[in-house]
Amino acid sequence: MPVLRNRVVFEVACGIQAFLGIEAGLVRGEIPPPSAPDGEVAESKDSRAAGRASGMDPGKIVWIFGTGRSGSTWLMNMMAEMPRSSFWNEPKVGNLFGRFHEGAQVGERNSANYILGEPAREGWMPLIRTFVLGSISYRRPRIGANSYLIVKEPNASVGASLLMEALPESRMVLLVRDPRDVVASALDAMRGGSWLFERRSRGKEGRESLADNDTAEAVKRRAMTYRRDIGHAKDAFEAHAGRKALVRYEDLRREPFETLRRVYEDLDIPFDEDDLRAAVEKHSWESIAEEEKGEGKKFRKATPGGWREDLTPDQAQMVEEITAPLLREFYP
Amino acid sequence: MPALKNRVVLAARGVKAFLGIEVGLTRGEAPILADEEIRTLHHQVAEKEQEIQALQERISAKSLRAGGVDPEKVVWIFGVARVGSTWLASMMGETEGHAVWNEPRIGSLFGDFYYGRGAHRSGRHGILGGSEEGRSKTIRAFILTAARAKFGRMVDGGYLVIKEPNGSNGAPLLAQALPESRVIFMVRDPRDVAASGLGAALEGGWYAEASKRRGTSKQHSPEDVVEARARRYVEYISRSREAYESHEGPKTLVYYEELRTDTLETMKRIYSDLKMSVAGEEVLRAVEENSWENIPEEKKGPDKFYRKATPGGWREDLTPEQARTVERITAPLLEEFYPA
Repeated sequence: MPVLRNRVVFEVACGIQAFLGIEAGLVRGEIPPPSAPDGEVAESKDSRAAGRASGMDPGKIVWIFGTGRSGSTWLMNMMAEMPRSSFWNEPKVGNLFGRFHEGAQVGERNSANYILGEPAREGWMPLIRTFVLGSISYRRPRIGANSYLIVKEPNASVGASLLMEALPESRMVLLVRDPRDVVASALDAMRGGSWLFERRSRGKEGRESLADNDTAEAVKRRAMTYRRDIGHAKDAFEAHAGRKALVRYEDLRREPFETLRRVYEDLDIPFDEDDLRAAVEKHSWESIAEEEKGEGKKFRKATPGGWREDLTPDQAQMVEEITAPLLREFYP
Repeated sequence: MPALKNRVVLAARGVKAFLGIEVGLTRGEAPILADEEIRTLHHQVAEKEQEIQALQERISAKSLRAGGVDPEKVVWIFGVARVGSTWLASMMGETEGHAVWNEPRIGSLFGDFYYGRGAHRSGRHGILGGSEEGRSKTIRAFILTAARAKFGRMVDGGYLVIKEPNGSNGAPLLAQALPESRVIFMVRDPRDVAASGLGAALEGGWYAEASKRRGTSKQHSPEDVVEARARRYVEYISRSREAYESHEGPKTLVYYEELRTDTLETMKRIYSDLKMSVAGEEVLRAVEENSWENIPEEKKGPDKFYRKATPGGWREDLTPEQARTVERITAPLLEEFYPA
């Protein structure tokens, strides 16, 4: 929605200045708070460090769920670039609660004593809420009530349903990408010498790469992870009655500005188109240094459909079979 | 200098139009606050909000006490399954005003993630990463809110005994979160623990039968069961010991064998160590009501939850090879708690 901001200062007499500030616009949802002139802290990055003590509005938490290697870092970076926004990169709070809940034995799950037992669900759901908000309070003590917190959780989507149920007023992005491209990207990252392999091998001498030694098994496991992650995220997305946006990585690559604008509209977050454009430009593929891109690097190729070059026909077929229902739904 | 500030909002069909105007005359610079001034204001606001937060925490702590669960009166029982924690918790729960929370597994919730999934190695972004203070405060709020919701009215100022042998892999996190709470660290000979676990897990055993009824039964060889039990013993007893040693609040170490040999005197010592005032006749009554002899015969036996309660019984229950497996895996702990 268009927003006009202008400020004029002129001298009307010796030593006396007149000033006129005008701010006007049309928005769906919330009216943006009165903005500070350029350079003031309220809209600068410094506000994230020097802002007010914690008063996080749960409605301004934006969760990004999906699966790893689907462009969530890119999306988070663009969204965190917007005014009054900061990010929380992979707290894995979804894993903390989601895996424990999912891994409970039948007897435990049916017990009212068990901390996440179903008979006491109404009792413990607020505990998750308090825990998340308390964690934000201690980690981001200066986040203000007007600030947005972008929480990137692609690798913890197993807990997406619990988190969205605990914080129903928060907003959710479901980010999907063609599973064949996700697997191709993950395979590259898992190979010996690649960025992810090296990171995970720190302090583990002699660690071998499954992607190198048993590529078929690596493909199978990653495809199953995709099915699990996206399946959980999709369940949460469908159940979430609040503000939400479904984003396909391919749309974001093809039309980043338009897609991001649609995300903000779907999430009902007021925005300035110039800010959005600047965020998109700052984090565009072209702005990444050439030496940081390529095989074995975190920024690999960002080419939808690149799996045709990266996977063998057998590998592609395996991914298609394992992820069939999701592939049909999101990539018919 | 006078200034006019106004903001008008008109809403129709979900769309809002807004117009803000700010106009005035000034000598010198137009009123744009300098960065330094803004930073000072932010700092002042932050300080005030921290004061408010501290006051809220104090109010919250008082209301928690008023709600019935005083963190000082939380008593943890750590150890590992089959060390006699059910028996001990039952005796403690007999006392008027005491309540027992049977295996909430809060320790596993945080311990599985923190130690098991390597979250302790995650950086400042991780939900349990960052400072110990921040982590402990959030875990503390989680425990106390849960305890108050479930037991607030029941204990109302009394003791809440939380039996967590199967959540002891997170014992250090729980004890750090509630430093004023009371800790019982319960140990038992690992060979008897393995023998008890084996009896439960074998065909016809109470645990195997319960798993069958739930449709979650898995067949394991006796050797696998014994080895798994021994490894679990090392993990859970080590974490319990870590919590016990670092805990600055009231605490006590209890040997199952000691509790079996002289139950009444051991119970009195436990209450004394924990600085809990319980009348002698109440302790005696609790001991008598929960004695081995008072358990109906049909509930006792090699395949039952109440098996044999005989320290050293492992000599009859484990093969020499199985006993050696347990001794090899648990060697440092066996040497520490049960030196030859």
